[in-house]
Amino acid sequence: MSETYDFLFKFLVIGNAGTGKSCLLHQFIEKRFKEDSNHTIGVEFGSKIISVVNKFVKLQIWDTAGQERFRSVTRSYYRGAAGALLVYDITSRETYNALTNWLTDARMLASQNIVIILCGNKKDLDADREVTFLEASRFAQENELMFLETSALTGENVEEAFVQCARKILNKIESELDPERMGSGIQYGDAALRQLRSPRRAQAQSAQECGC
Amino acid sequence: MDIMFRTIVSTATRTAAAAKTHHKGLPASETPKTVQPPTKSPPRNHLFVRVDPYGFERPQDFDYESHEEMMSEYLAVLRRRSVKWSKLLHGNVKVEKNIKVKRYVRKGVPKEHRAQIWMAASGAQEQLEKHPGYYHSLLKNKHNAKLEETIRLDMHRTFPDNVLFRSSSESCLQTALYNVLLAYGHHNNDVGYCQGMNFIAGYLIIITKDEEKSFWLMDALLGRILPDYYTAAMMGLKTDQEVLGELLKVKVPAVWHLMQQHNVMWSLVVSRWFICLFIDVLPVETVLRIWDCLFYEGSKILFRVALTLIRHHQALLLQAQNLPDVCERFKQITHGEFVEDCHTFMQKIFLEPGSLSMASVRKLRQTCRDRIVAEEAALRP
Repeated sequence: MSETYDFLFKFLVIGNAGTGKSCLLHQFIEKRFKEDSNHTIGVEFGSKIISVVNKFVKLQIWDTAGQERFRSVTRSYYRGAAGALLVYDITSRETYNALTNWLTDARMLASQNIVIILCGNKKDLDADREVTFLEASRFAQENELMFLETSALTGENVEEAFVQCARKILNKIESELDPERMGSGIQYGDAALRQLRSPRRAQAQSAQECGC
Repeated sequence: MDIMFRTIVSTATRTAAAAKTHHKGLPASETPKTVQPPTKSPPRNHLFVRVDPYGFERPQDFDYESHEEMMSEYLAVLRRRSVKWSKLLHGNVKVEKNIKVKRYVRKGVPKEHRAQIWMAASGAQEQLEKHPGYYHSLLKNKHNAKLEETIRLDMHRTFPDNVLFRSSSESCLQTALYNVLLAYGHHNNDVGYCQGMNFIAGYLIIITKDEEKSFWLMDALLGRILPDYYTAAMMGLKTDQEVLGELLKVKVPAVWHLMQQHNVMWSLVVSRWFICLFIDVLPVETVLRIWDCLFYEGSKILFRVALTLIRHHQALLLQAQNLPDVCERFKQITHGEFVEDCHTFMQKIFLEPGSLSMASVRKLRQTCRDRIVAEEAALRP
């Protein structure tokens, strides 16, 4: 049962209902498309350890229900998230139009330094596309988001989305972000490598607020 | 639709008494022509054994051995209850509210009487008779396009593990489900459609095999029996989650402390329980037994179930080391023998949590609601 990792990041998957959030998470963790499943009620949870730039990072991922009214319930989980996948469906303009709302929520309620990657999901349904790549990448640029088009069905760019987001957070730790800041959404793991920060700081980890 | 039902309804759950009254109240064309003789145990290697009597496919890891063991005892119970219910009702559709009927309901309503008892106990039958044609008029009126789209989005995401709801099945119940949800959304504008209602409507359709009855049962549940779980602010849901917390603080304080220690919000582990009324959380038969009491006694029963699950598995829950571990264990406690054996489980829910009066639930609801309203007001800029 013992797991070795250097860091633990809290991640969120947010976006409108039916954009494929749970399928992205399932594809990422199980490496296959989740066919025929009930939609998410409330919040579901998954985790996986990935290797990014010589570090083992455990992602603890909170998959949220997309229906508008569940937001008043799911918003409570935003606190202390280090990263987020903001998902829309490239075949539905409505899900794209809702992005600003989701973004406001995430920036307001999660960690100040939250790293967000925009995912235009259902890339495999290119024939039914309602949102162009160019338009979405402009939106991403304006809002300082990373951006990928993904397909939970084929698996294209799914792993990449999670990895890129994690890599950016690691970069931030090396430069400006202090994992020991309250609500950073980052914890040190048991691997106890912690070369990124001075050893002195590592002692403070037990005092961290987040128990996830 | 009925052909499918006839094929998959396990002969095992039919009894001599049950067979006589089976499908009572359905139009003549839907009444099964052949009555199967009662059998003592579920047929082994039966073609449809992979599918339960309600159309749900059994999971890959389904434990047939222990299920059969449990069923062999439970079938005797069902037979006994069925005879008693037939005597109690003898053709009477009215269900009185008295100690005897309450005891009968707690011991389980036989499948063949379930729709009738739910309709009568919840007042749905009365509403249906008072408003003839209302359901169909809702469907005929002009529809809200946004509502239609939201409901449609969940059609293929409602019970994909149930053969009756599969669009490839010739007797697909998706149309009935869509109609009931659409009618309800127009009937109750404050609620419209909230995810979770699809599962509830689905179960009602499986049991009543009738759209209009399912609609009026939805009306009874959402309009009268449950607090406002499904309205836009979901205040009833938020309140009841807190009420459960307060009850645990007194009845199972160790678990309450565990939740505090790991900073776990109740909504994380129990929102599904309340929103889905234990559908997709507990085994189907257990859910139906809970609903028997829900329709007859009201929403208090949901707390009894939750408290029993938590109290009974206290030791397991207390071993949790961190937040994800807590979540995982809260999932674990909704599986296994304890909840599969629905008859024993239903006896436990009236014993394990101790006394729980409606008056104290009402008081706690008021306190918790006031607290949430104050907290939310403080958060607003």
